[in-house]
Amino acid sequence: MQKKFARTIDALGDIYRFAEDVFASGDVQDSVRMPVHLALEELYVNMVEYYPDNDNDILLDVSASDGRVTVAMTDFDVDPFDVTVPRNVDTDLPLEERVPGGLGLHLVQRMVDNLEYEYRDRQSTIKFTKESG
Amino acid sequence: MFTIEFGENGEILCCGRLDAAQTAKAEEFLAAVVGAGTLDFARLEYISSAGLGILLKTQKRLAESGAGLKIINVNNHIHDVFRYSGFHAIFEIEAQ
Repeated sequence: MQKKFARTIDALGDIYRFAEDVFASGDVQDSVRMPVHLALEELYVNMVEYYPDNDNDILLDVSASDGRVTVAMTDFDVDPFDVTVPRNVDTDLPLEERVPGGLGLHLVQRMVDNLEYEYRDRQSTIKFTKESG
Repeated sequence: MFTIEFGENGEILCCGRLDAAQTAKAEEFLAAVVGAGTLDFARLEYISSAGLGILLKTQKRLAESGAGLKIINVNNHIHDVFRYSGFHAIFEIEAQ
């Protein structure tokens, strides 16, 4: 199922509801739902924050079958940004050396099963899947 | 939807989803916390990196006075997020 969403953080609630509508038809368990929600949020927030003045909506395509979820997110008229490049986050740093931020893509890379990036004609498309187990 | 409030025993009750659209509410509440505190996540379904940032900022502020946050009743999703972020080493965490 495809749907376009406005380029604002306030769209997150609508995005979760859209995903849940798709999940309802695909026997999707909590162990899949929450990582997909997280990946949708982190990637969407990145798109919004990198191009706050871009007038184009962001296109989401979500499908679910036999507990497996597949997502494609497309951003229009943007420069390339490959979200599959390892973020090299040091999660062993002690509290005093930690600074807030920088964990979003690291979490996405750890919590989804397949993360792919395509860039063509100034369109960025991010694809990922998640299944239980 | 996200709510944060003090419980009857002084613990901090978090409910709903702590995502990028809800961080202002959490940040305002936690900025007023002084000394050691316990966050009860029994009714918190979800957290993202935006929520982690607020928790880290609070923990660093409290650590300057030798205090810190304890987080209890953490569900499987949030436990995974903490583990992948290394937060299990900088917070005292109890699972559900």
